[in-house]
Amino acid sequence: MTTLKIENPVIEVEDLRFFYGESRALHGIDLKFPEKRVTALIGPSGCGKSTLLRCFNRMNDLVDGSRVEGQVLLDGENIYDRNTDIIELRRKVGMVFQKSNPFPKSIYENVIYGLRIAGENDKALFDERVETSLKGAALWDEVKDRLNESALGLSGGQMQRLCIARAIAVNPKVILMDEPCSALDPKSTARVEELIGELRENFTIIIVTHNMQQAARVSDLTAFLFEGNLIEFGVTEQLFVKPQNKQTEDYITGRFG
Amino acid sequence: MNQAFRKKIKRNDRIARWVITVGGMAIIFSVIFILVLIAKVSLPLFLPPDAELHASTRMPRVENIRAVGMDEYLETGYVIDASGTIRFFNVKDGAPLDQELLSGAGGNRSLLAVETYGRLNHVLRWSDGSLTIDQVKFRPYFDAENDNRRSILHRVESLASFPVPATGPGVQTLARVGGEGRQVRIDLYSDNRLLVQLIEVSENFLGEEEVTEAEHQLAFDTAGDVSALVLSSDGTRLYAGTKQGELLRWDLSDSEEPTLLEKIQAFADRREITVLNLVYGDVSLAVGDSTGQVTTWFPVRDDSGVWKLTRIHDLSRHSAPVAAISPSPRDKSVISFSSEGLLVDHMTSERSLLSLGRKDRLQLYSMTTRGNAIMGLTDDGRLQSWKLEIPHPEVSLGTLFGKVWYEGYDEPVYAWQSSAATDDYEPKLSLTPLIFGTLKGTFYAMLLAVPLAIFGAIYTSQFARPRLRALIKPAVEVMAAIPTVIIGFLAALWLAPLIERSLGSLFLSLVLVPAALMISILAWQGARKIEPLRRLERGFEFLAVAPVVILAMAIAAGLGPGLEQTFFAGDLKQWLFTEMGTRYDPRNCIIIAFAMGFAVIPIVFTIAEDSLSNVPSSLKAASLALGASRWQTVWRVILPSASPGIFAGTMIGFGRAVGETMIVLMATGNTAIMDLSIFNGMRPLSANIAVEIPEAPVDGSLYRTLFLSAVILFVMTFIVNTVAEIVRQRLRAKYGRF
Amino acid sequence: MSKRPSKEMNKYWRVGEPMVWLSGAALTLTLLSAVTLLVVIVMNGLGVFWPSNIEQVKLTDGTAVYGQFVRSEETADGSGLRHQYKIANRDLYGLDFRWIDQTDIASTGHPRDLIVLERSEHGDFYGTLQQLFTVAGNSVAATFDNLQQQLSAAKHDLELLSELEKKLNDASYEMEQMRLTLLKFDYEGVPAGALERQELEQRKSELDARFADLIELQTRRVDDARKAKAVFADAGGRGKEVVLLDIVQAYTPNTMSTTDKVIFYGGKLVELVAGEPRESNTEGGLFPAIFGTVMLIFVMSLFSFPFGVIAAIYLREYAKEGPLVRIVRIAVNNLAGIPSIVYGIFGLGFFVYGIGHSIDALFFPERLPTPTFGTGGLLWASLTLALLTVPVVIVSTEEALGAIPREMREGSYALGATKFQTLYRVLLPMASPGIMTGLILAMARAAGEVAPLMITGVVKLAPALPIDGNFPFVHLDRKFMHLGFHIYDIGFQSPNVEAAKPMVFVTTLLLVLIVLLMSSVAIRLRNKMKKRYTFGTF
Repeated sequence: MTTLKIENPVIEVEDLRFFYGESRALHGIDLKFPEKRVTALIGPSGCGKSTLLRCFNRMNDLVDGSRVEGQVLLDGENIYDRNTDIIELRRKVGMVFQKSNPFPKSIYENVIYGLRIAGENDKALFDERVETSLKGAALWDEVKDRLNESALGLSGGQMQRLCIARAIAVNPKVILMDEPCSALDPKSTARVEELIGELRENFTIIIVTHNMQQAARVSDLTAFLFEGNLIEFGVTEQLFVKPQNKQTEDYITGRFG
Repeated sequence: MNQAFRKKIKRNDRIARWVITVGGMAIIFSVIFILVLIAKVSLPLFLPPDAELHASTRMPRVENIRAVGMDEYLETGYVIDASGTIRFFNVKDGAPLDQELLSGAGGNRSLLAVETYGRLNHVLRWSDGSLTIDQVKFRPYFDAENDNRRSILHRVESLASFPVPATGPGVQTLARVGGEGRQVRIDLYSDNRLLVQLIEVSENFLGEEEVTEAEHQLAFDTAGDVSALVLSSDGTRLYAGTKQGELLRWDLSDSEEPTLLEKIQAFADRREITVLNLVYGDVSLAVGDSTGQVTTWFPVRDDSGVWKLTRIHDLSRHSAPVAAISPSPRDKSVISFSSEGLLVDHMTSERSLLSLGRKDRLQLYSMTTRGNAIMGLTDDGRLQSWKLEIPHPEVSLGTLFGKVWYEGYDEPVYAWQSSAATDDYEPKLSLTPLIFGTLKGTFYAMLLAVPLAIFGAIYTSQFARPRLRALIKPAVEVMAAIPTVIIGFLAALWLAPLIERSLGSLFLSLVLVPAALMISILAWQGARKIEPLRRLERGFEFLAVAPVVILAMAIAAGLGPGLEQTFFAGDLKQWLFTEMGTRYDPRNCIIIAFAMGFAVIPIVFTIAEDSLSNVPSSLKAASLALGASRWQTVWRVILPSASPGIFAGTMIGFGRAVGETMIVLMATGNTAIMDLSIFNGMRPLSANIAVEIPEAPVDGSLYRTLFLSAVILFVMTFIVNTVAEIVRQRLRAKYGRF
Repeated sequence: MSKRPSKEMNKYWRVGEPMVWLSGAALTLTLLSAVTLLVVIVMNGLGVFWPSNIEQVKLTDGTAVYGQFVRSEETADGSGLRHQYKIANRDLYGLDFRWIDQTDIASTGHPRDLIVLERSEHGDFYGTLQQLFTVAGNSVAATFDNLQQQLSAAKHDLELLSELEKKLNDASYEMEQMRLTLLKFDYEGVPAGALERQELEQRKSELDARFADLIELQTRRVDDARKAKAVFADAGGRGKEVVLLDIVQAYTPNTMSTTDKVIFYGGKLVELVAGEPRESNTEGGLFPAIFGTVMLIFVMSLFSFPFGVIAAIYLREYAKEGPLVRIVRIAVNNLAGIPSIVYGIFGLGFFVYGIGHSIDALFFPERLPTPTFGTGGLLWASLTLALLTVPVVIVSTEEALGAIPREMREGSYALGATKFQTLYRVLLPMASPGIMTGLILAMARAAGEVAPLMITGVVKLAPALPIDGNFPFVHLDRKFMHLGFHIYDIGFQSPNVEAAKPMVFVTTLLLVLIVLLMSSVAIRLRNKMKKRYTFGTF
C-alpha cells in the first residue's frame, strides 16, 4: 500500500492492534516515523488517530480494560516489552494535549515539573532550562517578568505554549501533539503552528489534527486513518495533491468526515 | 535521570500504592463493620439457652435421700437422707466431704419429706409431725496463704422449729419463717380443715421482745379437696388449689384475723390443681395441674375494683400431671417437674428455655442460689448436675416488641422500665414505645420542617436574586452546624416556658400568620401597580413578607392571653385537661417540632436547593418561552425534574431526626408513653440509649437490649439514607452534576 | 369597566403569583427562626457579665431588698406589673430571684455604698460594708478602698496557699504512683522482704511524713488567713460575716462609670476563658472545658484526618471503579448520616469495654478491678468522634479529588511522573482546600457533638487536665470536660437551674461562636474551590 521509504525511523509501528474491552480500535497498523520531521495523523472523528498517538507513550495504559497487540519500536526497542520502563519512555516521548493543562503552580514550577519529578535539585539547571524551554516555546519574552506568577493567569494560547515548554524541558526525542490547537483562537493557532515549524529542527513531532489545512501547513508527512486502518501514508504535498486511495481523496475533498 | 533515583521513586510508588490500598480498604471496612460489632453485642439476646451435663456421680451407701443441693460454683453438693443427716460431697467425683446431723434429728425420728424455698431453705417434716427449717449456706473463701485459691465453705443454719399442733399433724404441712420474727405453720387435715399457727416476735416500746402466738382454723367451702398449698416466703399470704380446679387466697398478715380474700374457679374444666408455688418476688402464683399445664396467676383489679386472681401466662405443658414447681431464686424463671423430667420456662417472656432429665427419671432436684445450675437425683441413685447457660431468659421478640402483661398491671402493655429498687423486679424492656417515641417526634418535626424547607428552597433557587441567594445559602448551611445541644437547651429552657406561658398566642398565630399573609397578598395586587414597589417582585418578596409575619406574631402575642381569658376560662392548659382530657406536659411535641424541625430544615433545604438549582436552565427557559408564569414553570417543570433530589433531602432529614439525641433528651419529658397527642412528650430510642447505658451492667440484658436499639436506629437510618443516596446518584447521572 | 381588575385578579391567582409569596414566607420563617435563636443567645449571653446597677427596693410593708432588675411581666390576675429581681445572698434568703409586685414597691434607689461580692461559695452577696478585720485581727475603717486593699492581701495569701496546694497535689500524685507500684509488686509476687520493695516502702513512709507536714502547714496557714474578715449588712440590716479568702471579687456597680464597667466586663471575659469553674460549674471560668474540647478535637483530628484522606485517595485514585466501589461509596456517604448515639454506643462497647479492658488486662492487671483504660476517657471519646467524622473527611476529600480535571493527571503522567508523584505534587495540593473544608467541618461537628461523649468519657468536673507536668505528661486515659456537655450539665443537672442559666447562656454563646466561625470558614473555602476548578472548561 505504501511505498514510502523512511530513513532512520525513530518510531516504528508494526502490526499494532488496540482493543477497548472487546471492541477493536486499531486493526493492525504499520507505520514508520522519520527523525526530526513533523508527521500528521488525520482522519475523521473516531478513526483511531488519537488512540494511535496515545500508544506511543503508553498513555492508554491508564484506560481500564484496554489491550495492545503488536509492536511499537522506539529506537529499535519495543515499548510494549515487559521490561520497558514507562517513566523512561514518557520522558523520551513528551506529549501536548488538546486542552492545555498547566498545573495550578507558577510558570517556573510548571516548566521544571518534569525535572523535579526526576529528582533534579539544581537551581542553576532549573533556571537555564526554564529559559531555553520557554524560548523554545516562544513564550520567554511574554512571561520572563512573571515567572513566579500562577500559570492559570495566562491566555489560552500562552497556556498551550507553556505546556509545550514543559514538554521540551525534559529533552524528549519525540513530542506527541493531540489536536493542540483545537481549543485556540486563530491567532494563537498561528503562533503554535509557527512554533511547531521551529521545533522540528530538534524534535520528532507527531501531531493529530482534524484540520486538514493545518496538516498541510505544518507537516512533512501525513498518515490518513479510517476506521482503525491506515489508509494512506505519504509525503504531505503528494497526499493532498495526488491521493493514491479513493477514500483518502473523498476525505480530503470533504465528501465525508 | 539517574538510575538510583528512578528506583527510589518506583519503590515509593509501590509502597504508597500498597499502603493506600491496604489502609483505605481497612479503614472503609472497619467503619462499615460498626454495624456488625454492635449487632454482635446484641445477638446473645436471641441465642438459645443451653444446659450442659456437668457431672453424674453416686454417693455409695446412702439411701432414702430426701433432698439434694449444690453451691453456685458447682463444686460442693449435699444430700439429706431419711435419718436427718446432711452429707456434703464433691460434685465432680462424688467423694464424701463431711456430714452432720440436722438440728431436728434425734431420737427415733426420721425425716419424711423436705420442701425447699428461697435460698436453700429446707422445711423438714419429721416422722413425729414436727417441722424444722434449716438453711444451707455456701461461702467462697480465698486462701491468702495458699496462692489465693478459692475453696467453698459450707454451713448449716437452723432457722426455726415448729412443734406438733395439739390437733396432731396434718396430711400436708407448710412452714415459713419470715423476715421480722414471723413464723407460720400450716397443717392441712384430710377433712379439708386448715390450721394456721402463727408466732410473731416483736419489740415493744421498751425494747423488750414480745412473742405473740395465735392459732386459727380456716373455714372455707370448696367443691373439691385441697390438693396443693403454698405460703409466701414471708408467711403473709396463703394459696390453695383443689382437685376441682379451684384457687383460694388468704391474707395472713394480720395475725389476729386471717381472711379469705377470694375463691375462684380457675379452670372451667375442673381439672385438678396438683401443685402451687410462688414465682420469685412472691407476686405471681405458678399453678401446675393434672393435664400437665403450667400457668401463672396474679391478682388483677377488675372493673368493680376487686382484686381477682387472673390467669396471665401459659407456660410449658407436660404430658403428665405436674408433680412439682419451683421458682428460680434469681429471676422470674419457673422450673416444673413431672414424671417426664424438668422444664424450665421464663414467666415474663413465656420462653420455654430448657428441657432436662427426660430420660433420667428424676426423683428430686434443686437449683443453685444463682440459678446457674440444677442438681437432680435419678431413681437409680445417681446425682446428676447440669450447668445452665441462660444468658437472657427475660428477653424474647415478644417482650421486646409485643404487649406483655407484667406483674401489677391491669392489662398487657407495651412498657419500658429497665430497673427498680428491688432485685425481684420484673424488667420491662419493650422497644415498641421507644420506636413509637422516635417516630412520633420525627413525624412532628418533619411536619414543620419539610414544607418550610422545600418552599424556602424553591424560593431561594428560583425567585431570589442571585446576590441574595449567595448569602442565603451559606447562612442556612451555617444554621446546620449549630450544635444540637444548644438547640435542645434553648428549646427546653427558653422555648418550653415561653410556649407554656403563651399557648393561646401560639394557636392564635397559627391562624393569624396565614391570614395576615393572605390579606397582604390581596393588598399587594393593588400595590403592585405602582412601579417602584413592583420591583419587590424581582426576588425581594421574602424580605417584604418579614414585617407582615412579625406583625402577625406580635398581634397574636398580644391577643393570646385575652383569648385564653375569654374562651378557655383563663387557662388553655387547664381547659385542655378538663374538656379534652389531654394533659399538657411543658416539654412536649410542640417544642420538639420546633427544635428538631429547626435542626432538620437546613439539611432538607440544602439538598433540595441543590437539586432545584441544578435543573438545566434550558428547561426553565423553554417553559417561560411558552408563556408559562414563573410559578407555573416551577410547579410544572422544575419541581418534577428536581423531585428525586427533594425526596432525597427529605429522607436524609428524616434520618437525622430519627437519630437526633440531645434535642430529644433535653426537650422531651423522656417518659416512655404511647400517646399521639402533641401536648405530651415521649422517649425516643436515641435518648433512651443516652440515659440508660451509663447505668447498664456490661453484657446484661439491658446492655444488650440497648445495643439492639442502636442496631434498630442504625438500620432505620441506613435504609433511609441508602434510598436517598441511590436516588441522588441517579439524579447526578441524569444532570451530570450534583 | 369593573370587569378588568377582577379579570386581572383572576389571572394573578391563576398563574400562581401568591404561591411565590408564600414560598417567600417559608424562607422568611426559616431565616427568622435562625435569627431568633442567635438573638436569644446573644441577648442572654452578652449581658451576663455586665455589672448592672443594683437597686434598693423599699417595700410598702417596711422591709427592703437589694436587687438587680431582671424583667417585668403582668401578674397572673392581670391587675398590674410584677418585677423579677436577682437578690443574691443565697445563704441568707435561700433563693436567688424574687418577684415583687409593682403595688408593693414604696420606693427604689441606687445606694452608692452598696457592694457586690462574688464569693467562692453561695453565689453573689449584695450588701453594705460594716466592719473590716485584718489578718492580725485588727479592726480597720470600713471603707471600700480598705476592703480592696485587704482583698489584695488575701489574694496574695491565696497564691501562697495555691503553691502549697500544688506541692500537695504533686506529693499525692507521687503517693498514688507508689501505691500502684506496690500493687504491681503484689501482683508480680515480689516478696515482702525484697530490696526494691523495702526501698519503696521506705520512700513511701518518708513521703507520707512529708505529706502530713504539708497538710498541717496548709491547715495552719488557712486558719491564719481566714482571720481576715469583713461584716456586711443586707438591705434589712442583717449582718453577715464573710471571710476575705472566700471573696473572689468585690465591686460597687452603682458608682462605676461606663469605662469601669467595660474594664470589669473585659476582666470577666478573661476569667471566663482562663478561669476554673466554681460552684458546680455555674460560676467562674470555662478553661478546663475549653481545654478539653480543644484536646478532643485535636486528638480526633490526628485519627480522622489521615485515615479519612487515605481512604478517600484509595477510593478515588486507586480502587478500580466498579459496583463494589459504588457500594462502598454509598455506604460511606451513609455513615455520615448514622446517628451519633450509635457511634457512641459502639465506642463504649468496642473501645471502652473491648479494647480498654484488654489493655487493662495486659498492661495494668495489678490495678484491677479499678479500670485504667477500661473506662471512658479522652482517647476513647476522641476515637469515637474520629469514627463519626471520618465519613465527613472521606466525602469532602473524594469530592475535591473528583473535581480535579483528568487532564491534570494525564499532564503529569505524560512527563514521566509516577502515580504517587502525581498524587502528592499535583492532586493533593489542588485538593487541599476541599480536604481542609472536610477537616474543619469535622472539627466543628466534634465541637458541638455531645451524645456520644456522654457515654465515652466526658464528665461534669474533671479533677485534672489531660495534660500536666506529671509523667507521661499527656494522659489520654483521663476523663475530660467539654463545652457542649457543660451546657447540658449545668442546664439540666445542676441543683439551681435558675442561678445556672446565665452561665449556660454564656457557654452557649461561646460554643456557637466557635462552631459558626469554623463552619463559615469551611463553607467559604468550599465555595472558593468550586470557582477555582472551572478554569479548565473554557
